[in-house]
Amino acid sequence: MNSNAPSSTPAAAADLRRNSKRPRYSRFTQQELPACKPILTPKWVISAFMLVTIVFVPIGLASLFAARDVVEIVDRYDAECAPLGSRSDRVRYIQSAADKTCNRTLSVPKHMKRPIYVYYQLDNFYQNHRRYVKSRSDEQLRSPSNEDDTTPCKPEDDANGRSIVPCGLVAWSMFNDTYSFFTNNSQQLPLNKRGISWKSDRDHKFGKDVFPKNFQNGTLIGGASLNESIPLSEQEDLIVWMRTAALPTFRKLYGKIEVDLEAGDTINVIMQNNYNTYSFNGKKKLVLSTSSWLGGKNNFIGIAYIAVGGLCFLLALTFTIIYLVKPRRLGDPSYLSWNRNPGGGH
Amino acid sequence: MKGWREASGSRQSSDSVSSGTPLVIDRNLSSSTIRLGRVQPQAPGHRTVFCNDREANQLAKYKGNSVSTTKYNVATFLPKGLYEQFRRVANLYFLTISCLSFTPVSPVSPITNVIPLSLVLFVSLVKEAFEDWKRLQNDMTINNSSVEVLQDQRWEATPWKKLQVGDIVRVRQDTFFPADLLLLASTNPDGICYTETANLDGETNLKIRKALEKTWDYVTPEKASEFKGEIHCEQPNNSLYTFTGNLLLQKQTIPIGPNQILLRGCSLRNTEYIVGTLIFTGHETKVMMNAMNVPSKRSTLERKLDKVIATLFGVLLCLCLIGAIGSAVFVNNKYHYLMLWVNGDSQQFNPSNRFVVFILSIFTLITLYSPIIPISLYVSIEMIKFIQSTKFINNDLRMYHSETNTPALARTSNLNEELGQVEYIFSDKTGTLTRNLMEFFKCSIAGVTYGSGITEIEMGAARRNGVNVKEVQKPAHTSREKGFNFDDARLMLGSWRNEPNPEMCKEFFRCLAICHTVLPEGEESPEKLRYQAASPDEAALVTAAKNFGFFFYRRTPTMIHVRESHIQKMGTVEDCKYEILNILEFNSTRKRQSVVCRYGDGRLVLYCKGADNVIYERLSSGNDELKKVTREHLEQYGEAGLRTLCLAYKDLNPDMYENWNEKFIQSKSALRDRERKLDEVAELIENDLTLIGCTAIEDKLQEGVPACIETLAKAGIKIWVLTGDKLETAINIAYACKLINNNMKQFVISSETDSIRDVENRGDQVEIAQFISDTVKNELRKCHEEAQAIIHSSSGQKLSLLIDGKCLMYALDPSMRSTLLSLSLSCTSVVCCRVSPLQKAQVTRLVRKGANKITLSIGDGANDVGMIQAAHVGVGISGLEGMQAVMASDFAIAQFRFLTDLLLVHGRWSYLRLCKVVSYFFYKNLTFTLTQFWYTFQTGYSGQRFYDDWFQSLYNVIFTALPVIIVGLLDKDVSALLSKKYPQLYKEGIKNTYFNWKVVGTLACFSVYQSVIVYNFAVASSTTGLTSAGKMLGLWDISSTAFTCLVITVNLRLLMMCNTVTRWHSISVGGSILAWFAFIFIYSIVFVNKGTYFTIYVLMSTAYFYLVTILVPIVALMGDFLYLGIQRWFYPYDYQIVQEIHRHEPESIGAGLLEVGNQLTPEEERRYAFALLPREKSKHTGFAFDSPGYESFFATQQGVTVHQKAWDVIRRASMKPKR
Repeated sequence: MNSNAPSSTPAAAADLRRNSKRPRYSRFTQQELPACKPILTPKWVISAFMLVTIVFVPIGLASLFAARDVVEIVDRYDAECAPLGSRSDRVRYIQSAADKTCNRTLSVPKHMKRPIYVYYQLDNFYQNHRRYVKSRSDEQLRSPSNEDDTTPCKPEDDANGRSIVPCGLVAWSMFNDTYSFFTNNSQQLPLNKRGISWKSDRDHKFGKDVFPKNFQNGTLIGGASLNESIPLSEQEDLIVWMRTAALPTFRKLYGKIEVDLEAGDTINVIMQNNYNTYSFNGKKKLVLSTSSWLGGKNNFIGIAYIAVGGLCFLLALTFTIIYLVKPRRLGDPSYLSWNRNPGGGH
Repeated sequence: MKGWREASGSRQSSDSVSSGTPLVIDRNLSSSTIRLGRVQPQAPGHRTVFCNDREANQLAKYKGNSVSTTKYNVATFLPKGLYEQFRRVANLYFLTISCLSFTPVSPVSPITNVIPLSLVLFVSLVKEAFEDWKRLQNDMTINNSSVEVLQDQRWEATPWKKLQVGDIVRVRQDTFFPADLLLLASTNPDGICYTETANLDGETNLKIRKALEKTWDYVTPEKASEFKGEIHCEQPNNSLYTFTGNLLLQKQTIPIGPNQILLRGCSLRNTEYIVGTLIFTGHETKVMMNAMNVPSKRSTLERKLDKVIATLFGVLLCLCLIGAIGSAVFVNNKYHYLMLWVNGDSQQFNPSNRFVVFILSIFTLITLYSPIIPISLYVSIEMIKFIQSTKFINNDLRMYHSETNTPALARTSNLNEELGQVEYIFSDKTGTLTRNLMEFFKCSIAGVTYGSGITEIEMGAARRNGVNVKEVQKPAHTSREKGFNFDDARLMLGSWRNEPNPEMCKEFFRCLAICHTVLPEGEESPEKLRYQAASPDEAALVTAAKNFGFFFYRRTPTMIHVRESHIQKMGTVEDCKYEILNILEFNSTRKRQSVVCRYGDGRLVLYCKGADNVIYERLSSGNDELKKVTREHLEQYGEAGLRTLCLAYKDLNPDMYENWNEKFIQSKSALRDRERKLDEVAELIENDLTLIGCTAIEDKLQEGVPACIETLAKAGIKIWVLTGDKLETAINIAYACKLINNNMKQFVISSETDSIRDVENRGDQVEIAQFISDTVKNELRKCHEEAQAIIHSSSGQKLSLLIDGKCLMYALDPSMRSTLLSLSLSCTSVVCCRVSPLQKAQVTRLVRKGANKITLSIGDGANDVGMIQAAHVGVGISGLEGMQAVMASDFAIAQFRFLTDLLLVHGRWSYLRLCKVVSYFFYKNLTFTLTQFWYTFQTGYSGQRFYDDWFQSLYNVIFTALPVIIVGLLDKDVSALLSKKYPQLYKEGIKNTYFNWKVVGTLACFSVYQSVIVYNFAVASSTTGLTSAGKMLGLWDISSTAFTCLVITVNLRLLMMCNTVTRWHSISVGGSILAWFAFIFIYSIVFVNKGTYFTIYVLMSTAYFYLVTILVPIVALMGDFLYLGIQRWFYPYDYQIVQEIHRHEPESIGAGLLEVGNQLTPEEERRYAFALLPREKSKHTGFAFDSPGYESFFATQQGVTVHQKAWDVIRRASMKPKR
């Protein structure tokens, strides 16, 4: 049904050329784009492994050294700071109005250079539970006009019909143990609680003119209460707490001790053991740690780098040996399947 | 009439057709009509057409002549298009997920799923719209082509779409009929016109249509406008070869049959113009009724992909189940800070109702893990395939045929990769393998061989020996006639008189000019006259005689007139008359044809031509030297793939002749066993012949066919030839194409055996069926056993099967089908001859369904439509006028030889690329989801998401989308040239090496490994304060780190999968990673409320971030790297070896596309090539006689009715003697 039947008159020939359907040449349509064709030869494999070794081992060593320089004191206190007995006893204890002061003594194993960061570490605490993570209202935290924007905060959205600021489970369950540190001669170590939260959070996520309201006014008290005269942007403990952790075991920064501690020093900690982790067998730990360029005492990166570097070295070695023992000539036609078993392929 | 009645049921009982009117169709035709698809049952009743009277026809509300093949219109586009989209399970799945994500059970916000889904839908709809737009344009060109319609006694050019039933139109020569017409008048005498029906049935010979005598005069517009007829005819239907109706003209009822009908899609030939009236228009024309909705084909890879997707869904359910069980176990009121359940709140975490927790968690987790099923996979594949087909296949210069100005055309983009896995090719013969052009090519006269041409096959042989031969361009001044491709100065222009044996030459030429059954047509001058021959072979021989100076120009029942030149001396012309006394017909047992003629001077000669073996049996003794030399020539010709005939003559003694003639007349009038008796009588005279020589006709193969077939065979593809031709012809071509050779064991199952013919002559249909069925069964079993024996004997002998249509009909019976299948699958080549279009389709389906192999059908005519649609991939030969096959096909190429490029290059690459794309998609989404899964364990199985919503939704559509598309377009393992040089590489596609469960399994393992590394490394290294300021990272900080690592890892992994790295690869991979950073930089300052606020800036101020983003991708990819290294070194794929062999060769740009100059002249080159040819002899010598309808033609000439064969009917139309 093609209307242009081929015409054979010479006059039409020129016309035909104009109407030619000959595709135009382009490197793209003819699939001839310039390309490099890397071939993964043993040489490449071995060199790649060697390269990884050469790069990784030094990085790993550097990381390990960095981690080794970090001094960390970890003290688990949830068991000692509660009466011995069953779990239900402890839960009852922690929920009672009794005095929960607890004294702990820490000894400094090595010289600790300031600043010394004070963390609390909770265990088995699912700050990343879906119900928990979404139970907050970022709008409300930022601006007083969004005070009633508490829909995502259920079930901690209002108390007695009035909106809670800050609402939601996250804020409600804020950690409320407190620590104060004394040297062995009973001198209090100043604890700096300023600048422990992320600056971006302070500046933008938590409003300067948003003040806590109706907080912990409900029937159940979840955790810390807040000073209603201080704006949220300065409630750094809240800000830290509300940056939810990724894992059920997490540390949060409590404060900074801005003096050096000498090896052999002992530190007395007087703490208020208020927070209930007993009902779910959660551990509570107090952590004092210095910091390096790589952060806290975590050997993982260093070990991983060294292990990978070492493994690559072994692989490179193995490959070299195999290459020497069982070489294969590059591009040997006898390896083509139709040359290996002629007539085969059925 | 009776037959027609039966075939069409009671429809006609109320019809006004006067019973008893003889219709042209007889019973045989209507019962064995070649059908395109299924003939639909006809609606009862009939239509009445008032010719030349628009008002009267208006009442009937016939459809207009405009044709629309579009899928949508403006109004239906959105609903219908969306409906089409959601018919895909994957899209429906994502719709469900999107709906779920609006409910509170969802851990992710709706945008996570809605954005990718709408993007995917948008792209798909745009593509649909684009394709439909192209269809619309195509329709418009057809609808707007113009034809002359009678209006106010004038012919007015009118577009096709404006035509209405009853209009009178004038159609000029070489144009197409705009609708189904009733032929009223033609410029030819006797109201005859010639039509070419190549569009409909692939037959290239002309068919004669003849107007009713009553209407012959309506040629001029004045006269035509007086025409007021009324046509009663059948309702529109799709049977191409039947038509019944009556014309009421001047109170007279004249029956109309198919002979008066011109169908849309055919074109007018050899006739200045015709006048006709429209009967069926637009969608009601027979050709449109036949255009069934082409079933959309899906590729095997895609269907396999569905299985993988289903498996993924299973994996997804498992993950959800694990998570949900965990969730149900975890929920406990002891986690007081979670307030898992308070009054009036959702039940999702209610510890006292753990079953509900379980159920709801499943939904939560399905939503969370939904990216395990790659949403953008289908649309990416579609895009890739679309570009592959429109940009690569359609634009490939290697597949552009300059002579017909036809580029390749991918009509569907669904099947690109299917082209890389084809194992069986079903090919039509005429027009596909051959050009349907018989050319007189060589001859041997009195022991001297003449003719200097080189056939394709010889060229192929030369090429194999490393000689590059190009088709020799004939000098422009030797104008070549169709059917004559002979070039030897020793014979031309009378020079034969100087040859050693001029007398023999004369006999040779006379034999050619006299011994045939060709009808001359047209003006009696050498330039204008056309030969109407039953077979193109015959026409070629007569044309040859003409070119040698023996111009046959007139035939009367008893005489043949030949204008002879150069007989006495050069340049003289003399008209000679030869009285034809007897014609001893050709038939397939005799394999020869003789003519007894009397010269003007009374010399009585019998000229005979026939297959070499039958002629040699009948030669007189003596002159062994000539016989030996001629035999050698025959063998050479056979080797070159030529069709040979031996010519012989015998001078007759008048007395002896009279004696014989009496017997001949007796047996001719015998009432029983006439044919056999005639054969016996013929034997009496056809003996003691004198050999003249032999002719060699080239059944002109399409260019490059043997080489192409050889390449394809090396690629592990098996080629079957399905043809309507006779067994001998088919075998000939199979030899010529190198499909069969003498080393093969040939199984022949033919119905042309004496025993079958005996039974057939008895005429009992039941007995015939029973007998053939039994014979075929026995044959099949015998062949099968033999084949098994040969296969197990490890002799390595290849097998071939030759079967004809009639036997095939029985062999396709369910009881024998499995034997047939297993026999034919063990053969390297199969030739089915005399098969109907339906059988072609059946055979294709047999292999497709029965053997579960990927099939490709290639053909050029409407008779191939069935098989084209039945195969996985249908390829049509385009460029000629036949469009039906192209319309039904998935790919259209101009030449058979382009199959090499289509399959070995495009198909293979497509397959390779698609496999990569699919497995990569699978891998990257699994890896992504698994990191999420590992996190679930740490969140109390609550279904908390690890990544931000937007990370998740953009992961698929931005951060990992483009590079994989680039790989899907540009990756190639070896260059196009090498793909064809090492056809064996194709086998990996047939075996589906690149996408099977092993590949998927391996990838899945790496996926698990990588997700474990990415997740755990990111988490484990962040347990302590990470800055020198001692601050801790929260959930979103760690997940951003992990996501960064993941994006880098999966993008680099893609780079590792590439065989070639172009600029675009690096740009897209680098771009994707950069896009992620750009995104997060912006995202984390714009959205204050998100947990990710400012994250990246904090992260980038820590050393931790850099150390982790270096460490994690390298560790994650180390496994893959090691795997690839080991695989390449110890278990290399073939393509990898080929890469290595050619690693130093720069890829030739434009290779084969730019003509390379050559120092040798074509002549020298050719001679050189010829000299290098191996001089082996073929035991096979084909013989040239292809004359379907031959017997019946001569029978009718002599007034004898012969049982008609179904396949004769159409061809017969072209040679109907004028009465």
